Amino acid sequence: MNTFLLADLANPNVVIQTVLPEMILAVTGIFIMVYDSYVPGKQKVTATLSLIGLAASAVALYMLWVEPLTFASGFNGMILTDVIRLSFTAVFILVAALTILISTVWVDNEKVPAGEYHVLVLFATVGMMFMASGNDMVIIFLGLETLSIATYVMAGMRKTDLRSNESAMKYFILGSYASAFLLYGMALIYGATGSTNITEIAASVGSATFPALLLVGGALLLIGFGFKVATVPFHVWTPDVYEGAPTPITGFMAAGPKAAGFASFLRVFVLGFPLVAGGVAAQYLHESWVTALAVIAILTTTVGNFAAIVQNNVKRMLAYSSIAHAGYALVGFVGAGVAATAAARDEAIAAVAFYMLTYAITNLGAFAVITLLARKNDRRTDFEDYNGIGFKSPVLSFTLSLFMLSLLGLPLTAGFIGKVLVFRPALEAGQTLLTVMVVVAVVNTAVSAYYYLRLIVVMFFKERNTDWIAPKIPAAVGVALLVTVLGVFYFGLFSNNVIRAFTSVAEKPAVSASNSK
Amino acid sequence: MEPSLETYLALSGILFAIGSVGVIYKRNAIGMFMCIELMLNAVNLSFVAFARHYGDVTGQLFVFVVMAVAACEAAVGLGIIITFFRNRESIDVDDASIMRN
Repeated sequence: MNTFLLADLANPNVVIQTVLPEMILAVTGIFIMVYDSYVPGKQKVTATLSLIGLAASAVALYMLWVEPLTFASGFNGMILTDVIRLSFTAVFILVAALTILISTVWVDNEKVPAGEYHVLVLFATVGMMFMASGNDMVIIFLGLETLSIATYVMAGMRKTDLRSNESAMKYFILGSYASAFLLYGMALIYGATGSTNITEIAASVGSATFPALLLVGGALLLIGFGFKVATVPFHVWTPDVYEGAPTPITGFMAAGPKAAGFASFLRVFVLGFPLVAGGVAAQYLHESWVTALAVIAILTTTVGNFAAIVQNNVKRMLAYSSIAHAGYALVGFVGAGVAATAAARDEAIAAVAFYMLTYAITNLGAFAVITLLARKNDRRTDFEDYNGIGFKSPVLSFTLSLFMLSLLGLPLTAGFIGKVLVFRPALEAGQTLLTVMVVVAVVNTAVSAYYYLRLIVVMFFKERNTDWIAPKIPAAVGVALLVTVLGVFYFGLFSNNVIRAFTSVAEKPAVSASNSK
Repeated sequence: MEPSLETYLALSGILFAIGSVGVIYKRNAIGMFMCIELMLNAVNLSFVAFARHYGDVTGQLFVFVVMAVAACEAAVGLGIIITFFRNRESIDVDDASIMRN
């Protein structure tokens, strides 16, 4: 054992280029933190620096994208450059950049310490990126906690606001509770297979030392990840946390951490617990997680949509809508789990990533408008506050309507093609339960029309009794709105380009993940 | 005679169960947080037991990572609880009830 250890130490397989996108962002974050402690409160400077860091990180990601084989894996197989990593990392960078643009107006209004806020966004993004790139449970756990701890603080950013305090506390307690379950699941999987590396776990699930632990560990991981991506019955924290958190941060939480949760959820279950010939326990494990997730997807879409109908607060309504969207993404997830070939699996994974991309861009656009309309103190988020503003502020109300229609999944918008792509793999499998799941999801899409259209009706057709002055649209938020509106149409019309870019990595033959042993 | 792997796993499972029931049962935010720490340490015990069983250091390294993360979580969590206490003069989670359906 000692010689083996020494050999590993002598060749730690450090390939900095493999983690360059993450490194750039982490260094930018540390730099801003130091800068902010000397020259505090320069929101423009720290925002610009963060955006530059994100752009540099995007360039590094692009370099990985064109040459995925050179840096296919690093750090003894702990980091893996594959379709999950590249597609989801692109989503995270976009989410972080849009969040920084959207929150400029809120940072000004609320006198939030700008530097700290931008640093937290960057560190949360680094955590998300490691969740997508980590091919080892240690890295996934570290990424998850980096993300979660930064997000707990962001939820409580308005220190004097009772709702923000409450949101942060609920998020913190339930989030760490879920982390403990996730961690126990990781421990049992390690115990069952003797490895924390996802590729090695996949290779040894068929011949696990303790097959029973494999099943218990899988169930605990399901609970932990279920909490993080907010699936029913682990969704109870979502409405309160999303309502109480400051509005731009709610948008960030619904788009980024949810996508990151899906990235590692996909990696652990679809790639880590595949269907292997032979092992009875492995077959049973695969069968039970697919069934469990199909049932959870049915529950999640139904509960999310029906609970959203009765909400009177727009943020709370969008919180339930985000639960429903996690359910739609789960449909694609299950589709990836039952895919017959590796190519079909990668395509289904790319479909889930594309779905999270369309959801993120639509949702952040909607939250940009809601942030502007919430004004100072971040309070005006009830449906009543939207009464009759339609023609008084046409730009905001028409863009918000567009985002609602995209969330609903109207053809020509991004939301429609996203749904089609995630529903297809599950339908093609031809199993009864999966077909039922897709049918339930489609019926629920029709149900969701009620509450998305309600907001549009309220804006354009309700009378308003009080005076209302349209908020000014600052340049940064204007840019974010432009990007999101164009994104909704671009992804709706040219989804093929994006899917091809996402799967292009998979077409090149993947190098064996762990080249150390 | 030295305890077997099963003994450690059983102890770890019992500690985890006590912690998770405690989080649901407790109404005091600090108490809930302590129960979560108990759960994390129960998991650490499992990791070390497995690492010893396999003669592999990965499990022990995982424990270091978990301990570091738990320390960060404690710092942030206590900060959040203190902010809550300042505004509400209570750390009873039942008082965190402005937002309800």
